[in-house]
Amino acid sequence: MNKILILLTLAIVAAIIFFVPPIKGLGDLAKIIFFHVPTAWVSVIAFFVSAFYAAKFLRTFNFSFDKLSARAARLGFIFVLLSTISGAIFSKLTWGAYWNWDPRQTTIFVLILIYGAYLTLRAAVSDEKTRAKVSAVYSLLSVLTVPFLVFIIPRMYFSLHPSPVLNSAGRVEMDSIVLIVLIAAVVDATLIFVQLMRREIS
Amino acid sequence: MKLFNSRFEQIAAIVRKDFLIGLRRRATFAAMMMFALTAVASLSLSTGGIFVEEKFLAALLWVVIFFAASAGISGTFDDEAQAGTLPTLKLYADAQAILFGKMIYVFLSLAALTIFILPIFLILFDVAVEKIFLLLMTILLGLIGIAAAGTLTAALTTSATVKGGLFPILLFPITLPIFLPAIRLTEISFAGGVFDISLIVVVAVFDLILITAASILFDYL
Amino acid sequence: MIVFDDVSLSFGRHELFKNLSLNLHSGKVIGITGANGSGKSTFLKLAGKIIRPDSGAVNFPTDKKLAAVAPEMKIYDNLTAEENLFFFAKLRGQTLTAEKIFELGERVGLDMKTFGNVRAENFSTGMRQRLKFAILLSVDADIWLLDEPTANLDDDGREKFFSEIQAAKSDKIILLATNDKAEENICDEIIQLPL
Repeated sequence: MNKILILLTLAIVAAIIFFVPPIKGLGDLAKIIFFHVPTAWVSVIAFFVSAFYAAKFLRTFNFSFDKLSARAARLGFIFVLLSTISGAIFSKLTWGAYWNWDPRQTTIFVLILIYGAYLTLRAAVSDEKTRAKVSAVYSLLSVLTVPFLVFIIPRMYFSLHPSPVLNSAGRVEMDSIVLIVLIAAVVDATLIFVQLMRREIS
Repeated sequence: MKLFNSRFEQIAAIVRKDFLIGLRRRATFAAMMMFALTAVASLSLSTGGIFVEEKFLAALLWVVIFFAASAGISGTFDDEAQAGTLPTLKLYADAQAILFGKMIYVFLSLAALTIFILPIFLILFDVAVEKIFLLLMTILLGLIGIAAAGTLTAALTTSATVKGGLFPILLFPITLPIFLPAIRLTEISFAGGVFDISLIVVVAVFDLILITAASILFDYL
Repeated sequence: MIVFDDVSLSFGRHELFKNLSLNLHSGKVIGITGANGSGKSTFLKLAGKIIRPDSGAVNFPTDKKLAAVAPEMKIYDNLTAEENLFFFAKLRGQTLTAEKIFELGERVGLDMKTFGNVRAENFSTGMRQRLKFAILLSVDADIWLLDEPTANLDDDGREKFFSEIQAAKSDKIILLATNDKAEENICDEIIQLPL
C-alpha cells in the first residue's frame, strides 16, 4: 500500500476524531457516518467498474480483464458489507432500528445480493474460460437492473434516510468542516479502491 | 424476409420439440406444478382462518411463482447438456433461434403453471379480485420478464459444476425490477384503489430490455 | 476452404496447438490421426468454429454449413427416429417427406417402416449411430466433421457409411478423426497430430 495513502487515511481518521464536532444528541459513535458514506460510494463504483471490465472482456477475450472484473466485484462485496453494517449502526442511533427497508437500505441490500450471486457463480464454474464468459454476461445483465431499481424503489418504500450531501434543491446543508472531511474521506476510500485494484495478482 | 422465415421456422421447430419432450418426460412439468401446489397448500394450511392482508397475499403469490418457476426452468439448457443433445442442437440451429425457441417454451410453461395455480391460490385464500384485468396484465408482463431473464440464467448455470440452488440465487436480483412493481400491482388488483400506471410501464420496458440483453449476451456464451 | 491462421489453444497448462497455420480443401476426405489426447476431436471443433482458439483464428465462408457425427453429439432419446430426422432437417429449413425419411433409412440400413415410430431410447448403440448417420445425410452441409463415425457399426453399416462418404466428398470438406485402420484407408490425406 502506498505510504501517502496511509498518511492521508490516518489524517482523515484524526480529523474525524478530533476536529469534527459531535453530532447533536447522537454521541461519538454517530461519526461512523464518515465510514458509511465512503464505503457505500466505493461499493457502487466497484459495481460499475466490474461491469465495465466485463464488457471489455467480452469484446476482447483478454483474460486479464476478467481478472480485473472479478477483483472489482470481490472488493465491492467487502465494501458493501462494511457499508451495510456501518449504515445499520447509524440507523440504530438515529432512528432506533437497525433495519427498516428504507429505499437506500433496500438498494444496498440488492447490491449485496448481486455481488453474492456473481461470486457464487464464479465459485460454481470450474472451467476457467467458461467462468470468465459466464460471469461477464451475468455482470452486464445485473447492471441493467440498477436504473430500474433507482426508479422503482423510492416509489415503493417510505424514506427516513437523510438527503444526499447534495440534495435535489442543490443546497448543501452541512457544516463546512464536516463537508470537507466527508469529501476527503470519500476521495480517500476511492483511492484505496484504486490502489487495491492495481496491486499485482499474487 | 427469407432469413426471417427460416429463423421463425427454426424457433417453431424448437418450441414444438421441447413440448413433445416435456410432455413425454413429464417430470419437469409435474415437479413445477406440484411445487407450486405444495407451497400454496402449506401457506394456506398454516394461515387457515386468519385474515391475511392483501399486501402479504400478493407477495406470497409472486414468491410461489418465482420458486416454482425456478424449479421448472432451471434445467432449460441443463437437461439437454446432461442428455448430450445440446452440442447437436447448437451445431444445427442458430444461437438466436435456440434462445428464442427456449424463451417461448419457458414462457408457455410458466403460463401453464399460472393457469393451474392462480385459481387454486385465489380459492384457498378466499381472495376477491377487484381488478381482474390488472391482475392478468401484471402476471403476463411478469412472466415475460421471468422467461427472458430465466432463459439466459439457465444458459449461464449449465456450465456450473455446483448447481444446487444456484439458479434462484442468480435469477432473483435481476428480476427484482419485475417483482417489486408486480407485487404492488397485484396487491391493488386484490384490494382495489388507484394505481401508479408508471409501474406497469416500468415492467414492460424492463421486459423489453431483458429480451434485448438476453439476445445480445447469448451470442457470447 | 477452411483456413487456420496462427491458431493456439491450450487446456490449463497443456498446450494442444501452437501457432498452427494450415488450409483444408474440399473434394477430399482428410483424416486426423494421433494418439489419445493428441487433440483430434478438438481439431474438429476448432475447424467447425465450435470452440474458439486462445489466439489466432479459424475462417471459412459464412455461407458454408456444418454437419457432424461425433460421440458427444447425441440425438433426442425421447423423440422417435422420424421425429429426430424431421427436427434436425427443419432446423436447416428443409421439410422431410415420409418417402425421403424412408429413403434415408434405406441408405443407412435402418428400416423406417419398423423403427421410424420407435423412440431412440429403445435403440442399440449401433442403431443410434445409424440414425446419426441418416441425420448427417439429410441436412444440407458443406463441411462434415466426423469423429470416429463407424466405431459402433457392424460391417454392413461401415460399408454403407464409407460409400456415402466417397459419393459425397466431391463438393465437401470432410474431416475424419480416427484411430481405426479401415477409416484411415478411405482418407485421401492424413494429418498426423501433434503438429
